[in-house]
Amino acid sequence: MNTQYAVKTSNLTKIYGDKKALAGVDLEVMPGEMVVLLGLSGSGKSTFLRHIDALERPTGGEVQVLGTDLSKLSGRGLRQLRSKVGFVFQQFELVPSLTALENVLTGALSTLRGPRLGLAMYPRRLRLKALETLERVGLLEWAYERADTLSGGQQQRVAIARALMQEPEILLADEPVASLDPESSIVVMDLMKEIAAERNLTVLCSLHQVDLALSWADRIVGLRHGSVVLDTPTAGLSRESVMEIYGQLAPVPEAAISDLENELKKAADARNQSLAASGAAS
Amino acid sequence: MSMATPLKTAGKLDLRSGSLPKPAPERTAVALTLLTIFAVSLISLWQSGISITSMIGSADNAQRFLARVGTVSFPPAAELIELTLFTLGLVLTGTLLAAALSVPVAYIAAANTTPGGAWQALGRFMTVITRAIPDVVFAMVFILVFSIGALPGILAIGLHSIGMISKLFADAIEQIDEGPRLAIRASGGTKAQEFFGGILPQVLPSWIATVLHRNDINLRGSVILGYVGVMGLGLEMSYAFKSLNYSLGVGIAIVMFVLCVAMELISGAVRKVLLGQGTSKARTGKKTAIAMTVNSKRPWTADRVRNLVWGWGAVAIALGGVWVSNINWSDLVTVWPKLPAIMAQFFPPNFGSYDFATMAMAMGKTLSIALAAMVLALGVSIIIGSFAARNVAPTPGIRTGSRFGLVIIRGVPEVILAILLIVVTGLGSQAGIIALAFGGIGLLGKLIADSVEEVNPGPQKALIATGASRLQTYFSATLPQSARAMVGHTFYLLDTNIRAATILGIVGGGGIGYYLLNAGQGSNYPLVTSIVIMILLTVLAVEGLAMWVRKVLR
Ligand SMILES: Nc1ncnc2c1ncn2[C@@H]1O[C@H](COP(=O)(O)OP(=O)(O)OP(=O)(O)O)[C@@H](O)[C@H]1O
Ligand SMILES: [Mg+2]
Repeated sequence: MNTQYAVKTSNLTKIYGDKKALAGVDLEVMPGEMVVLLGLSGSGKSTFLRHIDALERPTGGEVQVLGTDLSKLSGRGLRQLRSKVGFVFQQFELVPSLTALENVLTGALSTLRGPRLGLAMYPRRLRLKALETLERVGLLEWAYERADTLSGGQQQRVAIARALMQEPEILLADEPVASLDPESSIVVMDLMKEIAAERNLTVLCSLHQVDLALSWADRIVGLRHGSVVLDTPTAGLSRESVMEIYGQLAPVPEAAISDLENELKKAADARNQSLAASGAAS
Repeated sequence: MSMATPLKTAGKLDLRSGSLPKPAPERTAVALTLLTIFAVSLISLWQSGISITSMIGSADNAQRFLARVGTVSFPPAAELIELTLFTLGLVLTGTLLAAALSVPVAYIAAANTTPGGAWQALGRFMTVITRAIPDVVFAMVFILVFSIGALPGILAIGLHSIGMISKLFADAIEQIDEGPRLAIRASGGTKAQEFFGGILPQVLPSWIATVLHRNDINLRGSVILGYVGVMGLGLEMSYAFKSLNYSLGVGIAIVMFVLCVAMELISGAVRKVLLGQGTSKARTGKKTAIAMTVNSKRPWTADRVRNLVWGWGAVAIALGGVWVSNINWSDLVTVWPKLPAIMAQFFPPNFGSYDFATMAMAMGKTLSIALAAMVLALGVSIIIGSFAARNVAPTPGIRTGSRFGLVIIRGVPEVILAILLIVVTGLGSQAGIIALAFGGIGLLGKLIADSVEEVNPGPQKALIATGASRLQTYFSATLPQSARAMVGHTFYLLDTNIRAATILGIVGGGGIGYYLLNAGQGSNYPLVTSIVIMILLTVLAVEGLAMWVRKVLR
């Protein structure tokens, strides 16, 4: 058995009704790797990530996470494994009426027995740890603010703090910055990268922006129609070559390629603009 | 990066200690209020002495009672049919009267149709006051005014029902799409054309649904009207119990019970046919609207035929209702000169031979019955309601089962259940609390299930992803998101319970209702007025409290 992989999927297939969302994905991710999943809308990125946290059961194939075959897990064992895998969502998914601190604390529920209602029901040790985590994401002053009063970027940082409370070994992020303005996007992506380095996390992150992916990840995996069509280290790679490989590996209608190109261009513009803006501000 | 950071008074050091912060004073006040209400409710429940042992004890009572009753008996068939038709006619006519009267009331009460602020205030006032005065009180007054017959009952039901129908109708008017109405205004239509062409078609489905629902409530409540002398099954039942003819009384109660369940099924079917798929909300009145527009060249579509049949069916039922209830029309002319003298009997209010303390205690007793029933229903409803929610139920089967159970419970007329329980177990207020709580589960359980299903599923998914258990996810993600709605629904239940608990006193459940009935039967009308004012103040206080809590918890 291969336990050296953080994540290993073999022939992972998922079919919804008559729609093939994943068409036999084989992927191996080493511990500490920073992987970005690229692909057009509907290519299967979210579906793939959900399988890694066993939020979805495969139609076929196998998923191994931290050396464990997910299909063998259920109940307590499954929850234990999930607690080792943090998940950051595009829409943050905080409980709006709870404070930032309470939301962060819910990340530690898997270490506790029984339900918790309100701050006072969490042990002091966890409260302190949650405050430290909030400080790490730069939001200590906002600990007692309701989640729905925070800005999008702040909410995503709270969501990251919630994931960190699990003390995860793997961090999954599904388009974590797609709902954010360019400036907050940079803050959030930089924060994830720093924390991943500090804690030696394995990161799988889906993105739409090729430029961001190139500067951020160790490795890029391209998905199209539920299949891996590109898998390459980012070192020494240019946007053009990614595009080229993308086009070659996936004989697709012209329209889809130009769609992707437009998307890439927009992302690049936005990034340049925000760089210029932050340059002007400082 | 220059991000504005609020400087909390707590300061960094305080946060570091992990101690809990001081919440905003208003939220603290709300939390304390809710806790107090909860505590008082629990104390009320405890003091009522409801317990497993007393239930077992009451089973003995019931056995003895049933032995004494022997067999259940019914009135002779012809009389039974006549009484049933009369009761149905009275209820239908009363409801239709309220339906008609609630249109103008809702029109002036709705923010977007009211002719002016003063009109709106008047409309709101009528809505609140007609809802707060129990229909038995209206009936007491009208029995004095009119010769015995159907009119007192019809008018009592008609006036009391205005409150609920016009409130919901006004809410619906306020939520319409303004487009069609503006189009009519822009093309030079009159205010009336605007209403009948632009507003009514949109709100008709919700109005029909409300009226049907109210009709069910009125049939259930008609039993109580009999206790103050309104003719029908209720009066016969109260005579039977008063003359200790328990077997006949229980027999009539069973007939009433069956009638209520049948009416519920019929109105459910009618709702489904008229409004489609059984949903009473969120449908624009497109189909029904077709029947409203005058167009002689329109083809005879299935829809049109159906609408015509149902429309004339409703008219026929209304006429039938008026016919069987045998109204003494001349009364409507002759009462007016008598009216001032009769009204004068009710003023000025006083406590008669009682003192204020006695009356306040009785009101407190009614309130405590309402609170005890509320807390009992709340506990069960949160569990059943959550299991009836798609996003909480462990399996679809459990959800379907819970939903089905709630529908069955809702079908049981709780006032009649209360009467049966009170008579059979001889337990008085305990039986009342159990009956009210039972009805409350049907209402609150459904409302809770619906609001739990409405929560954003994202946070639940996020917590499942952290490895939290189902129960932990429920408490940390589902409950916080639906808590506010649950508090609102619980206040609504309390409001309903206070009215119902008053009524229970009339049938032997204890509390203010008992004094109300006595005062009415002893012609002690100033005391009736005092009691009505006390009920009014209690209901308004609860409503004000609910509004404040909802505002702060936003
Ligand atoms: N729960 C579901 N039920 C049915 N079909 C689904 C479900 N989830 C995903 N799909 C389908 O599977 C395919 C892949 O979806 P997925 O959400 O994984 O794509 P994605 O790459 O994340 O796209 P996006 O960039 O828009 O988020 C799509 O065609 C989608 O319609
Ligand atoms: Mg996606």
